[in-house]
Amino acid sequence: MRLYAASSEESLRARELLADWANEGFLTKGQYERLEQETVSELRTTNIFLRLILFLFTLISVAAAAALFLRVILARPSEQTTGIFFLIFAAVCYGATEVAVSQAHLYRYGIEEALAVCSVGFFCAGMQAVLFSGRPYSPRPDAFQFIVPAAGGIFSLWIWHRFGLWYAFLAAMVFALFLPGYWTSSHTVQHVFVALLYAIGLICVTVIRSRYHFDYIEDDYSPVEAFLWLGIYLTINLQLSSLNMRAHWWDNGTTGASEFGRSFYWTTWVLIWCLPPVVLARGIRQKDRFVIAVGAILAILTLISNKPYLGWPRHTWDPMLMGILLTGFALFIQRWLARGPGGIRGGFTAARLSGKDKQWMNAGSAVLGLITPQSITPSPQTRSAEFRFGGGASGGGGASGDF
Amino acid sequence: MTIRARLGHWKEQGAISPEQHVYLASLCRGEPFSVFLELNVLLYAGVLAFVVGLGWTVSTWSQQLGDVLILGILSTILGTCFWYCFSRAPAASLAETPAPTAVFDYVLYLGSLVWCVELAYLEKRFHVLSGQWDLYLFATSVFFFFLAYRFDNRFVLSLALSSLAGWFGLTISHWPSHPDAAYRQYALLYCLLVGLGGTLLQRHGLKPHFFGTYLNVVANVLFWALLSGVFNHHGYEVWFLALLLACGAALAWGLTRQQFVFVAYSAVYGYVGLSSILIRGIDDESVALGYFVITAVAMLVALVQIARRFGRPA
Repeated sequence: MRLYAASSEESLRARELLADWANEGFLTKGQYERLEQETVSELRTTNIFLRLILFLFTLISVAAAAALFLRVILARPSEQTTGIFFLIFAAVCYGATEVAVSQAHLYRYGIEEALAVCSVGFFCAGMQAVLFSGRPYSPRPDAFQFIVPAAGGIFSLWIWHRFGLWYAFLAAMVFALFLPGYWTSSHTVQHVFVALLYAIGLICVTVIRSRYHFDYIEDDYSPVEAFLWLGIYLTINLQLSSLNMRAHWWDNGTTGASEFGRSFYWTTWVLIWCLPPVVLARGIRQKDRFVIAVGAILAILTLISNKPYLGWPRHTWDPMLMGILLTGFALFIQRWLARGPGGIRGGFTAARLSGKDKQWMNAGSAVLGLITPQSITPSPQTRSAEFRFGGGASGGGGASGDF
Repeated sequence: MTIRARLGHWKEQGAISPEQHVYLASLCRGEPFSVFLELNVLLYAGVLAFVVGLGWTVSTWSQQLGDVLILGILSTILGTCFWYCFSRAPAASLAETPAPTAVFDYVLYLGSLVWCVELAYLEKRFHVLSGQWDLYLFATSVFFFFLAYRFDNRFVLSLALSSLAGWFGLTISHWPSHPDAAYRQYALLYCLLVGLGGTLLQRHGLKPHFFGTYLNVVANVLFWALLSGVFNHHGYEVWFLALLLACGAALAWGLTRQQFVFVAYSAVYGYVGLSSILIRGIDDESVALGYFVITAVAMLVALVQIARRFGRPA
């Protein structure tokens, strides 16, 4: 079913590991050059930056070509005709993706990824236009319209399965969010349905994943499992998944139990406390970086949303306490691991073992250092008309913040 | 063949030693599993959350808490952070030096951010420099440059560069709403100063690994400034020429140094600039769409050639 040969993907993975080990000095240059010859793959990959711009320009060219076709060939087409052509475009894009992968052996190259994304977009737009165009607007949509997000979700899942693009799985999860809205207006049922759907997905992924260990397929399933855990959490955390979240949070309000059933509301409160330790334990047991990261994010989100859940007022010093907690926890873990024999406890270490970590740190510290002043600046400094250089909402680490 | 099977094969061939085989095989199994990155992200998030809360608390409760208490707390945190850094830091060096402790960089970062909060509080309450924020920004920038070079810290270097940008009147939040000629001049001056400074420091071997940060900041500010000139309806020709030159330079630099982010800058900024000029006179939608089809495909062809020739995975 998967279009890429397992041996090719394994070779690419081995190649990446070899480069990393050579950078870290685990292999000599001579060893690296020799072993690299044995990990040749026919798949064509490229640099992340070139991949991104190839993706961008493929999107532009496909979108412009489709729009040009509809404008030039079909003058003022009906919505249904447009929809039929969207479906044709979807088929063409999907076919082009298959050709790009099977013939040109493109692998995470940007072009085939953008074509796959376009095929999903055209498919959904086409389905909507063909099946439901010309219907008058109704605040309560036709239950049958669920077919569009359902088909979009299934097609996205197929793209993920066929080409291994993790964000196609994410798209399928987003499509799933829209499904219950067509059948019920009950928010409680909608939340439960989506959470159940994600939970079923999680069970499937966990079962499939257990057959693979330390290979590229496990690497592919890792972010998918993490997304599903995150999806389940975000669905059951009613303070985060509330539609008018901005008003609730910024105006110091909360999503009360009245909007949902009282028992459902408090059940979700219990669940948001139970889920982070479960996810963290699973991530640590599996030694899965993505799942551990999601577990940590869930724990932080639970701490942040606990007060709104309970209806308690938030204080200006809450972020300080959170900061102390996070820093203290990180320091404790760091020191606890470092005190173990060889700096290792339970198979974990706080030491850096991969050159990629250093690259991420260097890039992250430069970028985060630039954007941090924005986030700590309470409000921009008001300036007089003749005051040319003032402001500093960005510069000075927010030194112009208004007190 | 999985990587573990390959390792076994390489050991049998004698390509790697038995010790290397044991170590690399254990790494493949995640033994040991490094949480270095995760712990660093937690430390960063912790410091940031703390300073956000500190700034929020100070700005909200300044009247109730009083100046003495607030300044006392801020100064204590500041003093402790810098005492920690100066007492733990190794001797100053021109080369890249690792942090002496795992939390060193974050303590320095915390101190730098608290410095900003205290400075803002002092000026707001006591008007020490009568609202001359540019002087604060300049002094802060100089101070942060000193800290960044003394302690080899990219976080603080980025703070220094953004403070300097603030001094030049270049604030990211204000930029999109004021793309006027004056701002553009200051942006170009900033690029010139930072670019030259970064180059000179690198040439003299003073923390040469910082050069990438300088280049990325300069490239982005320069391209935004030039694009804002290209978007003008009159007198855009010079800016367009400058944009083309900058794109050529970025492309050449990216390809020769294998830094493909500069190739991406060149492609995206160059395409936006060129398109804005060529599209502005076109009223016919079909022609405009045709333009995008042809140029985007042309860009794809060119980029595929570049990727084939130069773009191996980083």
